Amino acid sequence: MTATATNPANSKPNRNTVRATQRRELLILLGFLAVIWAVTTALSPRFLTPANLKDILIQAAPLGFVVIGQMIVIIVRGLDLSVASIMATVAVLSTALIDSTPVIFIVGLLLGAFIGAINGYLVAYRKVTPFLATLATMIVLQGIRFAYTKGAPGGTLPEMFRWLATGDILGIPVALIALAVVGFGMHWLLERTVFGRRLKLYGDSPEAAYMTGAPTKLLVVMAFVISGVLAAIAGLFLVGYVGIVDNWTGRGYELDSIAAAVIGGAALSGGKGSVPGVLLAALILVSLFNIVVILGLSIELQLVIKGTLIILAAAVYMKRSQG
Amino acid sequence: MSTIARATRAQPVHLVVIALIAIVFVIGFSASDRFATPLNMANVQDQMVALAIVALAQTIVILSGGIDLSYAGALSFLCVVFAAIAGDSAGALLLAMAAVVALGILIGMINGGITAYVGVHPLITTLGTSTILAGAALLITRQPSGSVPLFFEDFTYGRLGVMPFGMIFVIALYLLIGFMLWRTTFGTRIYAIGDNEAAAAVSGLPVRQTKVAIYALSGLLCAVAAMYMTGRFGVGDPRAGVGFDLRSITPVIVGGTLLAGGKGGVLGTALAVILLAFLANVLNFMNISSYYQWIAEGLIIIAAVSFFAGKGKS
Repeated sequence: MTATATNPANSKPNRNTVRATQRRELLILLGFLAVIWAVTTALSPRFLTPANLKDILIQAAPLGFVVIGQMIVIIVRGLDLSVASIMATVAVLSTALIDSTPVIFIVGLLLGAFIGAINGYLVAYRKVTPFLATLATMIVLQGIRFAYTKGAPGGTLPEMFRWLATGDILGIPVALIALAVVGFGMHWLLERTVFGRRLKLYGDSPEAAYMTGAPTKLLVVMAFVISGVLAAIAGLFLVGYVGIVDNWTGRGYELDSIAAAVIGGAALSGGKGSVPGVLLAALILVSLFNIVVILGLSIELQLVIKGTLIILAAAVYMKRSQG
Repeated sequence: MSTIARATRAQPVHLVVIALIAIVFVIGFSASDRFATPLNMANVQDQMVALAIVALAQTIVILSGGIDLSYAGALSFLCVVFAAIAGDSAGALLLAMAAVVALGILIGMINGGITAYVGVHPLITTLGTSTILAGAALLITRQPSGSVPLFFEDFTYGRLGVMPFGMIFVIALYLLIGFMLWRTTFGTRIYAIGDNEAAAAVSGLPVRQTKVAIYALSGLLCAVAAMYMTGRFGVGDPRAGVGFDLRSITPVIVGGTLLAGGKGGVLGTALAVILLAFLANVLNFMNISSYYQWIAEGLIIIAAVSFFAGKGKS
């Protein structure tokens, strides 16, 4: 719906308008985050402490990785329902098979890339709807994971692995440094390279992208590969943080990441999305979770707030793009 | 007219699914003596009733080019409300039925309203309402609670020969919705909107109102499924609907209805529900763990959609 509103042939002023809109959306998100933080600070002295803020940021890191990947897929008119399953499968298989932390990460990322490539192949070459392709991968991975572990994953995590997820360098959590590096890298890729421009062009109009000679099928595959790799990273950081490998690691991240991507300004019709936007949205979602706990509200209320927020955010963007 | 022809024509997918059902039956016969018993046949039917109703609702929504992910939250919420009101008298049961049906329709109208009038993607709308309703169900009660009159519970367990009452009800429901899709203006509009929404709007169809009606119908069917499930459980489980959002989609797709809308119908969904239920049953007889059943389910989805990909928009 928004795709028709945007002219695929981005003339210069047009792109500036897009940038201005993105900046305004970022400000709205920042404003919203400031408001909920301010309200919570007024209600509870336990919220605005360095320790609690650090907790929020560390907890937001895995969702941050996933949401960037989800956004890249959404930009090419896709959707990745398999991210949570990738997180758990990568975490379960690679930590069970290997003891060395660097090798766990290398194998994990390769596995994530491989699964992403399968998703991308099904979508780009077999013309399967992204929703179904990734739904099927999600279920198959779930089966493989449970069949391999017979329902009870075991294995201990190496010391270094735990440190990566919970430790810090000069007071800054390692997970956040990793997220910052990936975030800047993906932002640069999306906004400053031909690859990024082609991704957005494809999302605006697949035909136009094809006409310019872009390898459109490969673009879609690459988007899913990126999502798979980032989900793998997120899964490894999450099990490292929790300290236990679980068959349901990351459960709920598929829908949370879609929600965060949409709240952060990605349009399901494709072509639109920014790394700072979706990262802020992820931070908002995780903050809400933390706030519910800090204020001693029931956990169930968190679901009601989250659902309302998802619909409101999407409604606000729709109104803006129509008006 | 072509719409009606498209809906009623036996499609290759139906034959494929029927052939698969036959294969599953042959494997079932050879796998266990207990497979072909009346008791097992009745049990399998019991297990498909709730999913069959929800998949029917999903079929209508997907035919119109939409999607309804609200069942997970909506079923949980409606089950809890139903059991909270129904209590143990016939009067309370009637009140609970009226309340749950009204709430189901209201949930659907909210889904449809936000989707059609605000323009939010149905995936996001229904994901949002599902999350809210899941929270609401747990706010009402964290543990399964409430009750239904004993005679209603007995009714959901009742059987006519090898056929559970629930199954007879499901067949009637499929025939009714099938008739609605093939022979009424509303049905034709659903196909038209799913086929090409812009064209439907240009040709003067009330696209927005129709969408609200579609999601309302989906919510109504969801309420029916919730009443049946509560009757079977005997209590209102605040997690009754977990998983039904994605589970409801599989039979629709395997039955040949395109996710993009406009093509498919209830016959395919019915056959796919039968296939999936008997497949799970036979795999259980073969002592194959549910882990491998997941792998089989995922591969069946991929096989089904890859088979139809390229035959029209997908």
